[in-house]
Formats: sequence, C-alpha cells, structure tokens
Amino acid sequence: MLQQIIALIIIFFFILKLMSQKKKQEISGNEFRIWLIFWLVAALAVVFIKQIDYLVARLGFSGSGINFLIYLAVLALFYMVFRVRLELAKTDKHLTDLAREMALRPKK
Amino acid sequence: MVKIACVIPAYNEAKNIVRVVDSVRPFVDEIIIVDDCSSDETVVCARTTGALVLQHPINRGQGAALETGNTLALARGADIIIHFDGDGQFLAAEIKDMVEPIISGRADIVFGSRFLGKKTNFPAFKRYIIYPLAKIFTRFLLGVKLSDPQNGFRAFSRQAAELIRIENRGMAHASEIQTKAFRNGLRVAEVPITVIYHHFGQRLSGGFKIVRDLLISKIIK
Repeated sequence: MLQQIIALIIIFFFILKLMSQKKKQEISGNEFRIWLIFWLVAALAVVFIKQIDYLVARLGFSGSGINFLIYLAVLALFYMVFRVRLELAKTDKHLTDLAREMALRPKK
Repeated sequence: MVKIACVIPAYNEAKNIVRVVDSVRPFVDEIIIVDDCSSDETVVCARTTGALVLQHPINRGQGAALETGNTLALARGADIIIHFDGDGQFLAAEIKDMVEPIISGRADIVFGSRFLGKKTNFPAFKRYIIYPLAKIFTRFLLGVKLSDPQNGFRAFSRQAAELIRIENRGMAHASEIQTKAFRNGLRVAEVPITVIYHHFGQRLSGGFKIVRDLLISKIIK
C-alpha cells in the first residue's frame, strides 16, 4: 500500500512537470497527450496491481504483475532504441548527402 | 587518352597537403582535394596548389570525402580514379604501378598492399596484432581475400567507381570498398606499395569502431 502511494505521488509529479512543459510550449500537443496517457496508464497499473498480478498468473507467468510490466517496459525500450538508431542513421546519411551537395555546388 | 584523376581526402593536413599534391602532380591528369571541414589552414594551402578543392561544410569522415571526390572525378570524365592519402604516407611514384593493371586491362580495381614485399616502418603492434585480426575479420565475415584490409591507396576504373558507391563515411569504408568490389564481380588486383608511418595511426579501438559500423550498415539498409 505504501509503495503504491509513493509510486502515485511520483507519477503525479511527472504529470505536473508535463503540464508545466505544455504551458511553456516546450512540447507539442501530441507529445503532451502521448505522455499524459502513458502516465495515466502507469497510475492505473499501480492502483490495480493486484488485478494485474491475478491476470498475469492466469496467463501462466510465474513472476508477479510488476515483473511482467517491467519486462514489457524493457522490451518496449529496446524497440524504441532500435527505432531511434534507424532514424539517426537516416539523418546521418542525409547530412552526408547534404554536405556532399554543398561541396560539389559550383562556386560563384 | 586515359584520364587519371587523384582524389585526396584531407583533414587538418595544412603541413602536408602542398607537398603531397606536388608529389602526385607528375603522375595524374587532375587532382581533387576534398577538405573534410579542417580546423587548420588546409583549404588555404590546398588552393595554392592549383588543384580542384572541395569543402565539406561539416566533418563527415574519410569515406564521405572519398565518395565526394569520386562523384566529381566521374562527372569530369575520369577514366581512372586514384585514392591517395593527404598525410604523405604513400609514395606518389607508385601511382604508375597502381594504374598499370587497369590500363593493361587485367583489373577493374587495384588495392595497394603493405604486405607484398615492400619495406615499411610498420609499428609492431599493428603488424602482428591489429592487422592479422583485421584480415581474419574481412576474410571470414566479409568474404574478402586480400592481404591488406585497410589500405587507403586504391585505383578504380571508371566502371568500378560507378559501381561502388561508398556509403560508410568513417574508416569502415575501406572494408566496404573491398567487399563491394568482390560482390560486384570486379577483377581485383593487389600491388605492393610503400607506407611511411609518421605516427601510429588507427588504434585497436578504431578497429572495433570499423567492425561496429560494418555490422550496423548490414542491419540498417
């Protein structure tokens, strides 16, 4: 119970920070909505952790609900890093192509 | 008449570039220097030589500079393109040995090799540790059977330069060029060359970066 309260307090602070960033226009509307949904889902997961434990056990997993959520989060992070790497590689190539085009442009 | 263009990638080579260009000039028809956003006077010095000078507005690496040079050389009608380092490690007189297999029709692409008999002041750690490892990697993982996997002295026929687009902008371009030469079925020749070491050059950590870049480029196409 105490752990859930602490987790919810932390999530509440993250949501406050998110709203402040939106107010200062440091993030776009879409980004704000995505992160808000993420934190709300995280809060729901904290509140209903026992139900998640039950569901995970019914699905045949031996670990607890929180372990299952952490494994999912790690998989999601790996995928995101992979996607970011792809985007970086594309951007890097575009930078090189741009530098080449500028170098080859006839000088006035 | 065969037109020979020499591409010299340069990064902070103000001390060497004029001497290198002067040494190369008697052996080629055109010299293209590609400055990779040097922070010293490389461009100023390069422009005094009368060579064509291209400038990358940001640093992109030797592989990128060579591809930029190749692009211009092909656009200007080069029949043979030489890659020659801008730090004075190579001997310009050996350019004629490098182009001979192409002119005689024996090869489409020629790679210089430090390991075919010519003397060199090779650092021992490189000769006995780094390069054997590099050879094992390129032979077994890339299928490249050459005696020198990381040599920057090369000669391309026009056909070879058109077929091989250098995509690795860093030092992995050397392995990439060799791999693509074999995969495209080009006739490959190796020629003994001399390399004069003024400094240690690429370290073992550089080798790991090359492996990393090659593996990443295989995954990300």
